[in-house]
Amino acid sequence: MCSARLLAVLALAGVMVFARSPALPLDLSGHAVDPFATPANARVLVFVRTDCPISSRYAPELHRIAAEFHFRGVSFWLVYPDPSETPAAIAKHLSDYRYGWPALRDPEKILVKRARVTVAPEAAVFNSSGALVYHGRIDDRVVDFGKSRPSASRHDLEDAIAATLEGKAVAEPVTRAIGCFLADLE
Amino acid sequence: MKLHGFVAALAMTAAALAAAPAEEQRPPVTFYKDIAPILFQNCAPCHRAGESGPFPLVTYQDARKHAHQIAAVTRIRYMPPWLPERGYGDFADDRRLTDRQIHMIDQWATAGAPEGSIADSPPAPVFTPGWQLGPPDLIVQPVKPFTVPASGPDVFWNFILSPTIGRARYVKAIEIRPGKARIVHHANLLVDRSHSARRQEIHRGDGFPGMDLIIASDTFDPDSHFLFWKPGSTPPVEPDGLAWRLDPGDDLVLNVHLQPSGRPEAVQPSVGLYFTDKPQTKYPMLIQLEHDGALDIPPGDKDFLASDDFRLPLDVDVLAIYPHAHYLGKLLDGFATLPDGTRKPLIRIPDWDLNWQGVYRYRTPVFLPKGTVISMRFHYDNSDANPRNPNRPPKRVIGGNQATDEMGHLWLQVLPRGAGDQRMILQEAIMRHRLKKYPADFAAHFNLGALILRRNDTAGAIAYLTDALRVEPDQPVALNTLGAALESSGKPDEAIVQFRHALRVQPDYANARYNLANILADEGKLDDAAANFREILAAFPEDKGAKGHLIEALTELGNSSGSQGRLDAAAEYYRELVALQPTNANLRNNYGTLLARAGNLAAAIDQFKAALKIDPSNAAARRNLDLAAKAQVR
Repeated sequence: MCSARLLAVLALAGVMVFARSPALPLDLSGHAVDPFATPANARVLVFVRTDCPISSRYAPELHRIAAEFHFRGVSFWLVYPDPSETPAAIAKHLSDYRYGWPALRDPEKILVKRARVTVAPEAAVFNSSGALVYHGRIDDRVVDFGKSRPSASRHDLEDAIAATLEGKAVAEPVTRAIGCFLADLE
Repeated sequence: MKLHGFVAALAMTAAALAAAPAEEQRPPVTFYKDIAPILFQNCAPCHRAGESGPFPLVTYQDARKHAHQIAAVTRIRYMPPWLPERGYGDFADDRRLTDRQIHMIDQWATAGAPEGSIADSPPAPVFTPGWQLGPPDLIVQPVKPFTVPASGPDVFWNFILSPTIGRARYVKAIEIRPGKARIVHHANLLVDRSHSARRQEIHRGDGFPGMDLIIASDTFDPDSHFLFWKPGSTPPVEPDGLAWRLDPGDDLVLNVHLQPSGRPEAVQPSVGLYFTDKPQTKYPMLIQLEHDGALDIPPGDKDFLASDDFRLPLDVDVLAIYPHAHYLGKLLDGFATLPDGTRKPLIRIPDWDLNWQGVYRYRTPVFLPKGTVISMRFHYDNSDANPRNPNRPPKRVIGGNQATDEMGHLWLQVLPRGAGDQRMILQEAIMRHRLKKYPADFAAHFNLGALILRRNDTAGAIAYLTDALRVEPDQPVALNTLGAALESSGKPDEAIVQFRHALRVQPDYANARYNLANILADEGKLDDAAANFREILAAFPEDKGAKGHLIEALTELGNSSGSQGRLDAAAEYYRELVALQPTNANLRNNYGTLLARAGNLAAAIDQFKAALKIDPSNAAARRNLDLAAKAQVR
């Protein structure tokens, strides 16, 4: 009786310890990093996979968007949710596609859940208080698998960041992104 | 689009419901038992290391990481890429999955991608790395790579390749290694027998942009094979008698469709050639149905129709078919109406996608008797509803070879029945048909002119060729052919004018220079003739014909100068002759005699000695050497 009670308390303590220090995504050296720790006017997470051509093809467009908001206090992060992608492979991907962005590994899907994303590439925008204000496609260039417009007619991510910086609500806060499914990653 | 998705979803539910009762008894779907056989057969040829697929699909781990993705892309039949609709033509290498296979993949992904027992696995596929047909007999590469920008629309680029071969070869297969498999969507090789594509390069070796190209040729040697590469395809090897000829000096033009990948990529493909000693005895030909001249699609038009109908002048077997349109193409339909009125489907592509265009080879050749009408019905969507529309808002689109222009081509590779080369009959019918569509067409007039010239109807040929040149006054191949026709009809001076005109337009046009040099030689203008043969030899040092003709001209020039007492001039011709034939003892003896007559005894002695070194038994050279040595002493 007594020992059972003790066990239960211990278990509870265990949970409490876990809850006080929530799991965090990792940087490429394996250190826990909280992308929400430093203040920012807006925070953008873009979820990618090294083996996803749709996501890699977006690199130049993401560079353009990051440059546009460079001096406006927006922090950009690339998130790699595939637990089997090694830091070395991610570093190579960053250099191949000329990303100067900080990159995070998210093997526990902590950021995936917080951003409510389901595919790569998919973007999430958080406002200065850390609330999710947009998640979905970068733009509407990709219409479906194998079906692309020659150029985008709507720039959803760019518009969402701009609205957030102006303190306005994002006109379409959720859009459907086309890409490689994150559900396939354990 | 939305409606489409809804219908597809309903169909899936219906399939799932129908399958439900049986499933309870059926063992669960597992990777090794059910999925691996599908993946190994249909996906792994591209989805493996070094090939075009963006990730491998050869192990359970590979497949598990993409399970829902595989289910999603197979459900909409985006993968494996295969455009033709089932039931309209029976094609070899059909990569379509069956409904049952697609359903099984879906069940497997939904069940959490269970692995199952490896004991159930089919043997892992064995692939040949690199060249699929083994080491080629000859590998050709463009001089320079082309760099695809990181982003932007797709790029269509042409590389010019110049294979070095010592003699005519028969090519039984080609294989294209794209270099960067992931960004090369497809590649097409064309044989350019008259260097006509080189004129489109700004600098030699640069290559040039363009989606489709026209190759002009002055020999009747129409394209007979689809030399096409798409990802995951094993190159076909032509059976004996069906190889095609490659001559020394021929260029190969490689047209590639490149897709920006997010980073700049340098692409330098290689082409492997496989030769055979079995010469060509069967002469297939490519028939093109098209009506690009009638492509004038108003903005917003959701269903613009382009059609063409061609009546076969003889019995043929259709070996392969290749439909082609750009980004507005939607439903592409090709069929034959037999003389008895029966309609035979040839191909039908319900949702055209340029990215996955390909050549489709019939599992067994399709026989079409003489009098059959082959029809093309291509439908185009120039509205906003077509996401691939290159213009937003939609604009008027006409025929042309840029990505923003449109095209509608249905190519058929046919093998005429009957003995020997029947292509002239087909070609004439094709060109007469073309002339009906385009009364002021260069190609139709030119081709009919060239064809009629082969029948020795020079007057008829001259009329067609003159009409062709009225349309394109500086077209070198037409100028050269008209020159040949004029020469055959006994008008050498007029012929020379045409050849010289062709060479002003294209100074490296060897055939025109050859014709010019020959006619000048016939006319006794030997110095001028020799200069032109010399230029051909400079470009093609192996050209035996040009060399022989140059030797003839120089010999005649040397001898006539010698007999007129112009010894220095004669010696100069002989010096060149000796350089062309350094091991000809008699020639050196004659050269030495000339030198001696001109008083240059030391040089003469060198030539006599050289002659004797080649042929110690050459009595004339020995006597001349003695005499020259004595004369020198005196």
